[in-house]
Amino acid sequence: MLFNSLQYLAFLPLVFAIYWGVNNKFLKLQNLLLLAASYYFYACWDWRFLFLLVFSTGLDYYTGLKMKDASTVRIKKFWFWLSIGINVGFLGIFKYYNFFAESFAELLSGFGFQANFWTLQVILPVGISFYTFHGLSYVIDIYKNRIEPERNIVDYSLFVSYFPLLVAGPIERATHLLPQIKKRRHFNYDQAIQGVKQIIWGLFKKVVIADNCAFFVNQLFDQPGNYSASELWLGAVLFAFQIYGDFSGYSDIALGTSKLFGIELLKNFNFPYFSKDIADFWRRWHISLSTWFRDYLYIPLGGSQGGKKMRLRNTMIIFLVSGFWHGANWTFIVWGLIHALLFIPLLLSDNNRKHLSDSAYGLKDLPKVLFTFLLVCLAWVFFRADTLSEAGTYISGMFQFHEMSLNLFLKNGKYVLFSGICFISVSFLLYTEWQHIKTSRAEIQLSKVSLLLLLGMIFFMGAFKNQMSFIYFQF
Amino acid sequence: MKRFLYKIGIFGLLVFVLLNGIAFLSLYFLGKSCLYKPQYLQNGVKENQFDYLVLGSSIGLTTLNTKAIDSLTGKRGLNMSMDDTSMGTHYLMLQHYYALGKKTDNVVLTVTPWDAVDSIPELGNNDFQFITYLREDYAYQYYASMEKELFKPLTISTYFPLIGVSYYNVEVFYPSLLATVHPNKRNRFDDRGNYTYPVNTSDLKGKEQEVSKLLFLNPYYKKIVALCKENNSELVVYIAPMYKRQVVLAVDDPKVINHSEFLSDSKLFYDHIHVNHLGRAEASAEFAKEMRILFENGEK
Repeated sequence: MLFNSLQYLAFLPLVFAIYWGVNNKFLKLQNLLLLAASYYFYACWDWRFLFLLVFSTGLDYYTGLKMKDASTVRIKKFWFWLSIGINVGFLGIFKYYNFFAESFAELLSGFGFQANFWTLQVILPVGISFYTFHGLSYVIDIYKNRIEPERNIVDYSLFVSYFPLLVAGPIERATHLLPQIKKRRHFNYDQAIQGVKQIIWGLFKKVVIADNCAFFVNQLFDQPGNYSASELWLGAVLFAFQIYGDFSGYSDIALGTSKLFGIELLKNFNFPYFSKDIADFWRRWHISLSTWFRDYLYIPLGGSQGGKKMRLRNTMIIFLVSGFWHGANWTFIVWGLIHALLFIPLLLSDNNRKHLSDSAYGLKDLPKVLFTFLLVCLAWVFFRADTLSEAGTYISGMFQFHEMSLNLFLKNGKYVLFSGICFISVSFLLYTEWQHIKTSRAEIQLSKVSLLLLLGMIFFMGAFKNQMSFIYFQF
Repeated sequence: MKRFLYKIGIFGLLVFVLLNGIAFLSLYFLGKSCLYKPQYLQNGVKENQFDYLVLGSSIGLTTLNTKAIDSLTGKRGLNMSMDDTSMGTHYLMLQHYYALGKKTDNVVLTVTPWDAVDSIPELGNNDFQFITYLREDYAYQYYASMEKELFKPLTISTYFPLIGVSYYNVEVFYPSLLATVHPNKRNRFDDRGNYTYPVNTSDLKGKEQEVSKLLFLNPYYKKIVALCKENNSELVVYIAPMYKRQVVLAVDDPKVINHSEFLSDSKLFYDHIHVNHLGRAEASAEFAKEMRILFENGEK
């Protein structure tokens, strides 16, 4: 069930009506309803994987309790590693087994050995990376005595499976979400209105920006050799907006939906294309994932405590793992590596925190913002390409400056129209975000006129006929 | 809660009414234009009687040049073929033609083996062009039967034009803006409905010879036959030249003009199934010869 589908248009008001209309006075019933709705939502993708989700939930719930009740550290460790092992094992089997088997077979064939590893023809369960990370953070927090285990199975299951964040995040923390699940919720008019606005804003980003940009991006990345350098550059820029519109649009709809149920989710994006350097970008892009890696990988590895050598090592690890988290493909690993290489100079010169509390923008920041965006676009090429060689072809084409044309974007009336839609919608996005940055507003604020304009754009500029699935569902 | 529902309800309703109003205007201006063939037939074609009417998809559109055929036969024809369509659309176009009070002595139905054999036809990519005629029963019934999913954007547009206009926004909404400014502009066809492909530079020579059997399993074929009979029009089935493809007939019908093997030089083709403007000239001349025989043999 896509957020931008008719199914969801019927599902959301129905759940909302029962949630506030029937179950308003009973928190337990509200949570039970949300859990049932979440399982239904997930089953709409593939009901078979519901068992995996329930098993994963049950495992972390049970091991959490066992860790708390453990009489010795050894027993506690046993339950901890059991949970980690099974969670990571599932992720490994469903997401990475084929990658490792094929890569190893290729490596051996490079040395003249023939190895045909058995590969699993399995479908990747949607959202597995997201709900596994929910469970992992919960188990780690209990192990580190940061939180108490949740004894109510419904509340815990809802924490893992809450439908707005189930398939593509944001990756929540038990410390943030569980207390909200356990607390009696009252309908809040302002929160609900803000939720609706955020849903509309998210829909605009997805249906108008992401899906229209995809029209050109798919053609350019399918056959990069057929296009000029200027077309390929523009394609990389359009992909930057496609993935931003797609993923942040999804996050906005998730956050907005959750607001309708009186639950605030973690913010996932903070106007990332206005970043002044790569470090700043990573504080603004997929925030719930980068902070997850910071808290559960970077800091346990030693974080910034050791010398520069250790910080370098940890930074490299965190970026590579982050890339690999996105998918079992060398392209994602190289994408992570590029970001690491762009980040390291800032780290070595102690400039990685330079813009941490610097929210003011001046004209002098424009070159920094543009330069950062350019680097991010180049890295996106690896993220989007299916293979490293395709990425290589694309990147090399971008630097064939003797071929400059925009023929693809002006091919015929339809293409000119799509170009216009992309240009107008991206400009509107940047303008709106800039207005928010200028006034230091973290949440999207839309007047009635802006809302009307947005709805008009969604209906008359949205790509409904060639609807695309959300990119991050595959992760 | 009540305040929220009230606000959302009122705002939602206002937006819905306003956007539906815009969509309605969009369909109104498109309906008054000559941009697409269904609208051109009503607003741009003044004659009500033709000697022959060509129906078909892109193959019929780009193979038969009615102006050239008319100059050789002395008759008057109109090409109402639409690219990216199938036999269902041809039936819809024929219904539309008759519904506008127009008559024709002959209906030339350009068919392909793959369309004729399609027993479960689907909505064509350009069928939306009849959206401005949703109030007409034939268009409504056609969409209602062809849109098989739960979501039927064209059918629903009878009541809420916003749905169809936004679903087909690139094809309907923006062209309607153009139609508002230039109501006489036609979308890639001349005043007799003809269009041609340019000479293609790509190499077609690698293709192997193929043989296809023409079997009429498409339910719309029978409907076209019945509709022609009802309106006293003779139905002529035409098989256009295709590169290295022979079409053989399952039934030897004298009203079938089979030119599938008429052209063999790859220079006359745009791609494997479409002739270019050079091929069109030859195919149209040959078609004119056949039509002249039909006309002379006492056909209408």
